[in-house]
Amino acid sequence: MLQKSSLTLRDGTKLDDLIMRDTNEVSLRVMTDEELYHHEMERIFAKTWLLLGHESEIPKAGDFIIRDMAEDNVIVARDADGSVNVSLNVCPHRGMRVCLGEAGNKRVHQCIYHGWAFKPNGDFIGAPIEKEKMHGNNVEKATLNLKKARVHLYGGLIFATWNVDGPSFDEYLGDIKYYMDQLFCRTDSGLELLGPPQRFVLPCNWKVPGEQSGSDGFHTLTLHRSLMEGGVMGGTAETIYDQAPGMYGVDVSCEQGHSLRCLEAEKTFKMFADIPFEGKSTEERLNLLTPPGITKEMIPELFKNLSEDQVEQLATFPPQVGGMFPNVLLAFIFAPRTDGGASGALTLHTYMPKGPDRVEFVNYIFAEKDAPEQVKRDMLQNAIQATGTSGTIEQDDADVWPVIMRNARGGVSKHITLKYQALHGEERPEGWKGGGMLYPGFTKDDTQWNWWLAYHKLMSEA
Amino acid sequence: MTTTKSTAAPDSTTILRGLSSNRRVPLGSAVYNALLETLYDEAAALDERRFDDWVAMLEEDLVYTAPIRLTRTGPNRDRDVMRTMFHFDESYGSILMRTGRMQKSAWAEDPPSRCRRFVTNVRIGECDAAGEYEVVSYLFLERSRGDNPENEHMTAERRDIWRYVNGCYKLTKREIIVDQSVLGMSNFAVFL
Ligand code: FES
Ligand SMILES: [Fe+2]
Repeated sequence: MLQKSSLTLRDGTKLDDLIMRDTNEVSLRVMTDEELYHHEMERIFAKTWLLLGHESEIPKAGDFIIRDMAEDNVIVARDADGSVNVSLNVCPHRGMRVCLGEAGNKRVHQCIYHGWAFKPNGDFIGAPIEKEKMHGNNVEKATLNLKKARVHLYGGLIFATWNVDGPSFDEYLGDIKYYMDQLFCRTDSGLELLGPPQRFVLPCNWKVPGEQSGSDGFHTLTLHRSLMEGGVMGGTAETIYDQAPGMYGVDVSCEQGHSLRCLEAEKTFKMFADIPFEGKSTEERLNLLTPPGITKEMIPELFKNLSEDQVEQLATFPPQVGGMFPNVLLAFIFAPRTDGGASGALTLHTYMPKGPDRVEFVNYIFAEKDAPEQVKRDMLQNAIQATGTSGTIEQDDADVWPVIMRNARGGVSKHITLKYQALHGEERPEGWKGGGMLYPGFTKDDTQWNWWLAYHKLMSEA
Repeated sequence: MTTTKSTAAPDSTTILRGLSSNRRVPLGSAVYNALLETLYDEAAALDERRFDDWVAMLEEDLVYTAPIRLTRTGPNRDRDVMRTMFHFDESYGSILMRTGRMQKSAWAEDPPSRCRRFVTNVRIGECDAAGEYEVVSYLFLERSRGDNPENEHMTAERRDIWRYVNGCYKLTKREIIVDQSVLGMSNFAVFL
């Protein structure tokens, strides 16, 4: 028996009326409802871990970047002791932004309104004219620090949460960590962000791209048809639905709502189809075809940083696309080039809510830090040409989402439901080493439904 | 040499200041007029989605980029063009791939946007290489999608190099400096 959610909207609608767990449907109304959005800000975005960037963006003491945790603007800064700190970019004096640039280096952040000053770690230093005590007569300075978030670095990725006593980052990641480690914690020097993220705004609710980030593999065949037409993935324009390249693999997810699609390269991409993998060891396979972003020189590092089982999976079924609940999409994909340049594109997106009907798409593009400059250059180009602002894959996604949003406003349309009824059900493939919930075969709705269950769970916790 | 890719570091950014050439091609001169006409023809080819005509205006060594902008304060306040990250990072070959895609299933432009490219403030200088011209222009793009009555728009400066080949000018380099650090346009499925 499913436990009923206690969340009820002012008009009497219950969360359980919007997310129908008995029939695997979600009312389109969730995309526009303002009241629900305010609950999301408190119950999800003020509670869970959020991705804010990568520590390679701020290598030196005093370096800072300005990022958003939903609609809360924060300063992400490296302190003199090397630590990464996240503090609210709201002056506790009268509410001005303390930091107005988007990036830079400062040992002291001074508010331009009345001059209150703060350290990179958010500690209050003082107000001008010290002897006049303009911060208050009997107020302890320590109470005037910028509001600080709890920070966790994972593979150099900067995560933060306002939930200071909440679940640890590892608890938040859950069973997906085994797979994520294969992407983020596999080399000695780790990843490097190749430049500041691309940012653009879409007129839709954050959950429109959000639910897709729960590993919607199926849309690739139709929306991203041009990938097949261009001959990159297997098949031709005529055989797309017969051959269904990229549809068969192992989808993994966990109750926290994260998911990944693990795909065999040779069954996904035409140009890898004839590689003689049969009977080869893990190491031989890696040498025949390195996972996206990895060079041959880094292969020994994989064995050093990961377990043998993890490396074996990376060599056979590398995780390629997926998401972290609530608003991260990741793509660590093969991106075959015709000019002999380095294949592979590594990107992460965050979909930051900017009101019920606006979302900011932030596109982070990576390479392994130790990769040669030319490899980084090629991978930057691969990612820009495929994803984000102008990417030939994702410009089609950006075209669909605002239209769904316009539909969701109709008095009749908003009662239409999103369907997640094509389910495979959990099944452990033979010989599979990793944990989590597993869905082998054709990619179905299971992982996206788990995304909604994670949403339902957080929204039900007051 | 590895270059820093740090977001915070200002040394990976650049100041924008005028023309790099000091040999000015004066407004109203024959070369100026011919290049201005070329820019107008190019805008018309793109607005009318005559991609073959547009590609015919491109050189095969084309470098076509759109660096991102990043707001800075203090001594680095003018260093706001980040040439470590781009919205576009294209070659002649990748442009052909993009225009080829337009003939097939590019849903982002099917149905097509209706675009108007307004090109103004054209300043031209002679490059060191004979027959090459530095052409800086402002671009204002209005884009209408489907039956949405609200247009998307975008402003940018374009820093081009046009080369005189066989009686006409061809584009060999374009850098599109958009004005927004967070783009208000939902994608760049159109050329700038
Ligand atoms: S608001 Fe910041 S010092 Fe007054
Ligand atoms: Fe997509």
